[in-house]
Amino acid sequence: MKAIKKFFRFDNIGYIFVLPAFLYMMFFVGYPIFSNLMLSLRDVNMRNIKTGIQPFVGFENYVVLFTRDSVLTDALINTLIFTVASIVFQFIIGFGLALILNKTFTLAKPIRGILMVPWMIPITVTALMFKFIFGTDVGILNYILNALGLISENIDWLTNPFTAKIALIITNIWIGIPFNMILIATGLTTIPKEMYESAAIDGANKLQTFKNITLPLLKPTIESVLILGFIYTFKVYDLVWVMTSGGPVNSTHMLSTYSYKLSFEMFKYSEGASVANVLFVILLFVSLIYLKVVYKEERT
Amino acid sequence: MNNDNILSGRKNLFYNLIAILLLIALLFPIYWMFATSLKAEQEIFRIPPTFWPQKLNFASYAAQLESGDFNMFRSFSNSLIIAFSSMAISVVLAIPASYGIARYQFKGKSMIVLGFLITQMLPVSVLLTPLFIMFRNMNLYNSLFSAILADSTIGIPFSVLILKNYFASIPKELEEAAYIDGCNRFTAFGKVLIPIAKPGVVVCAVFSFLYAWGDLAYGMTFITDQVKRPITAGIYNFMGQYGTRWSYLTAYAVVTIIPVLLIFIFMQKYIISGMTSGAVKG
Repeated sequence: MKAIKKFFRFDNIGYIFVLPAFLYMMFFVGYPIFSNLMLSLRDVNMRNIKTGIQPFVGFENYVVLFTRDSVLTDALINTLIFTVASIVFQFIIGFGLALILNKTFTLAKPIRGILMVPWMIPITVTALMFKFIFGTDVGILNYILNALGLISENIDWLTNPFTAKIALIITNIWIGIPFNMILIATGLTTIPKEMYESAAIDGANKLQTFKNITLPLLKPTIESVLILGFIYTFKVYDLVWVMTSGGPVNSTHMLSTYSYKLSFEMFKYSEGASVANVLFVILLFVSLIYLKVVYKEERT
Repeated sequence: MNNDNILSGRKNLFYNLIAILLLIALLFPIYWMFATSLKAEQEIFRIPPTFWPQKLNFASYAAQLESGDFNMFRSFSNSLIIAFSSMAISVVLAIPASYGIARYQFKGKSMIVLGFLITQMLPVSVLLTPLFIMFRNMNLYNSLFSAILADSTIGIPFSVLILKNYFASIPKELEEAAYIDGCNRFTAFGKVLIPIAKPGVVVCAVFSFLYAWGDLAYGMTFITDQVKRPITAGIYNFMGQYGTRWSYLTAYAVVTIIPVLLIFIFMQKYIISGMTSGAVKG
């Protein structure tokens, strides 16, 4: 018995197991985060990246980025609008689908499974697919809208700043529906059937049941879905880069794509790092809120 | 939800119909890509569009198998190498780490768990520029290793957090029994615990593979030679060069999703369990 106790003794053997993964993450994530911060306080560009003579400039990169032009503030606003609009629709559609697919009809389970596919497809492929659908002359969307008599002239979806944003949001909603649906559907299955049965005995109608039983009991799930959705949508990169690359004329830049453009197309590494840090700080803040919410619920 | 009380006849039919219609609407873009890849270029631009290729045309697939800048077969195997290697790294490092976190108490444990949680929510943008500079200095720039190493930073935290719960749910008695049978804690871990946690390991392997397979940012930034690039970056390049060759582009895209569809067909239950375990796609 003593030996068994010794086996599970609270000691530092845990370190041995955790160490390899920990070191890996310190080297390829921890250090780069720190290094990105330092990078943003220097002026590193194409010319001096090889020489290593990179002057310290303090917060100048941030000041320049916010004052030189409006691209960064626009990107910030775009990212926010993109995120909120995507989440609202993903959530509503996902919730609706979850409610339908939680009924016990023959095909409910297989269909719920197949609906995962849009989420699994590489985003590059999704972006290509929708770029084709939103095409001005070749796109099926314009054809359908025309056939229905809703438009008389083809819309330049991806080359007009306003419609390009709409197109990006629609595509992202499509990607996010499965995630919302599956999490809400799982949440729904945890609500005890008896609650609905007793509500029915009490004479509650469907709307009352939904408002007074489904929504309150689903609150933890809803919170997770919305905050996680915010985090995953806010850092969008591939989708926008493949569909519009931030264009036309910087109008659809997100923080991530603008950072990428600065670093890898204009070779202003420090400015790219600074934009990435703005994104990082916002996400870190939201992540901590998320962890706090989850932690609070785990305790209660 | 129980399967034993399926809805009665008419209601059942009604819901089945609704669900099928919704499914068709939602999956239409995938169908459309597939149909387009089998059309000849002139047919793609025809108005009204043809719903199904009038003449099946496999030329778009064949053309890309031949040599040339955009050898689809090569980018496909690059992606396979990257995704499988990244999967191996993630699983091999995550198994012991998650076990250590689930079973032992040690100083700083909660900070480490917090660290894994936060890296999962990290945007790639933060790592791109510093990793780019780091890989240049390490002479890993423009090699498959750079993408493999970077992609694993997504797979590891996900896998640790998922597996931690699997290991925590295994009763300690099993380990004690192994110990009485003469195992030490390392052999008990290898012979008893890992086999029990196998479903969790499969979830981690599948997700690590999918993350790496779907990555564009790392593969495109750290690898500059088209011949070494993964298939996602291949498509991106191809779009830049032949923006309107939709027959070729959609064929390329269809090939890219083949492994995803195979995973979906054979490992569907692992996908759903991975998505709902709280820690989700990054």
